[in-house]
Amino acid sequence: MTRTSQPTALITGAGRGLGLALARSLLASGWRVVVDARRTAHLAADLPGALVVTGDVTDPAHREALASAVGGLGRLDLLVNNASDLGPSPLPPLADVPLAAVRRVLETNVLAPLALTQRLLPLLRTSGGTVLNVSSDAAVEAYAGWGAYGSSKAALDQLTAVLAAEEPALAVYAVDPGDMRTEMHQAAFPGEDISDRPEPEEVVPALLRLIASRTAPSGRVRAADLARTAT
Amino acid sequence: MALDFILPAGLEAAEPPPSRDGVRLLVASADGVRHARFDQLGEFLAAGDLVVVNTSATLPAAVTADRAGVPVEVHFSAELDDGAWVIEVRPAGVSAGPVTDLRPCEVITLDAGAALIVGEPQPAGQVRLWRARPRIDGGVSAFLARHGRPIRYAYVPRQWPLPEYQTVFAREPGSAEMPSAGRPFTAQVVTDLITRGVAVAPIVLHTGVSSQEPGEPPQPERFRVPPATARLVNSTRQAGGRVIAVGTTVTRALESAADPDGSVRAGHGWTDLVLGPSRPARVVTGLVTGWHAPGASHLALLAAVAGSGLVERAYAEAVRQEYLWHEFGDSCLLLP
Repeated sequence: MTRTSQPTALITGAGRGLGLALARSLLASGWRVVVDARRTAHLAADLPGALVVTGDVTDPAHREALASAVGGLGRLDLLVNNASDLGPSPLPPLADVPLAAVRRVLETNVLAPLALTQRLLPLLRTSGGTVLNVSSDAAVEAYAGWGAYGSSKAALDQLTAVLAAEEPALAVYAVDPGDMRTEMHQAAFPGEDISDRPEPEEVVPALLRLIASRTAPSGRVRAADLARTAT
Repeated sequence: MALDFILPAGLEAAEPPPSRDGVRLLVASADGVRHARFDQLGEFLAAGDLVVVNTSATLPAAVTADRAGVPVEVHFSAELDDGAWVIEVRPAGVSAGPVTDLRPCEVITLDAGAALIVGEPQPAGQVRLWRARPRIDGGVSAFLARHGRPIRYAYVPRQWPLPEYQTVFAREPGSAEMPSAGRPFTAQVVTDLITRGVAVAPIVLHTGVSSQEPGEPPQPERFRVPPATARLVNSTRQAGGRVIAVGTTVTRALESAADPDGSVRAGHGWTDLVLGPSRPARVVTGLVTGWHAPGASHLALLAAVAGSGLVERAYAEAVRQEYLWHEFGDSCLLLP
């Protein structure tokens, strides 16, 4: 097998929204990209060239399949933990939220990113790579109905901060991309018009600059702030 | 001040001269302009003068690369503190100017499976030089040693081996392009200086790529002025000797380490100093230099040391007497 230093990324939840837009940009930039999603039939057409692994990040066997796909490529420069679970829609208040739903949100948004990071840390250390965890303003603001999702993202932010302290050779970010016109955002606001929100493609350039130049120190980052500092 | 001139065709040195210290030396001082050979340099200096040289060695900083299927040439300009590099990308061949439409996260593929991840313009405000993170097993230096070649521009029609791009002082690899003012020096020339009582002291300044666009300021460069050199400079000045910088690189390093009163402190780091009418030289009182292209920011630096009148006279005479330009060309001693 030819050894190659071609930059390689793993992006979870790349079936749609921000994950799909970021995967598309990295592929066009010359990266090798491994993606996963629960439904992937459309990705052969939407992401030509990507290595697609179908499954759910909460499933240990699926995570192992992802790690094995990345291991076959021999290197990893970027892990994007993007797959997220919003919880029930419409968003219930904490008084009523089913604990099983909260457990599932935490499994997807906290434990799965941690498990993938653990599994892929050796390759990330070798490359001095980047971990990019997709967070939310709900991690720091108290919005009614966002208790399960917001607390899961707050936990993800703290995992990010601690991992950055433990792995100073890596860049470790929790990025709040801001509101976007995505299916998940629509599920949070069922029946409302969200057409004033930007498309996920508009957030991607700020993420690319962050990944390429490490324009911010490790930790929590707002994409809107990155866009403002652009030249 | 618009220090400028027309460089006539045919005055660009297209290849290394037959002997390094056999190139011509124009000596410009308040007494007028004289013509000599470089191996006579010592005749124009005096016991107690100090000649300061740059010991940075030239990297084989140009490599062939691939940008989305299009062949390009990458010039490695400077290593940054975090391990990223400042690069310039040019179309393959030695003709056209830089590629300016790079994008963050874009991958440039190098030989042997190596790659660069493009970041952002570095410094901000221009699109010729970009930050890039190397994905190179074994590191950039070893990669360049194996796959790189010296940067050359169109006026040098063929590739010359790396030793042609090293000065006799070269010790510490790190310059994207040769600190070329030192190229005419030989062991014999240095021995002659020492024998005459002229001292020689080292600094290090790693040069970036020189291909500035008109009006573009010099980029930041990494430098070091050792303590012993700082002491020699200061004692030379106190005793009334001249401090002769060999090249704009040495001038930039010494002036970056100079206090307002002209005393030099040992130091190291990055310098973005731009010498010119608003920041004249404080410590350098003479200059050995090659002949630089019209409009180059180098000329403003020369004027900051020697005064624009003397520099204009020297350049006019050099054009009239058909001195050769650029890194393989003739030399100039400015003694204001």
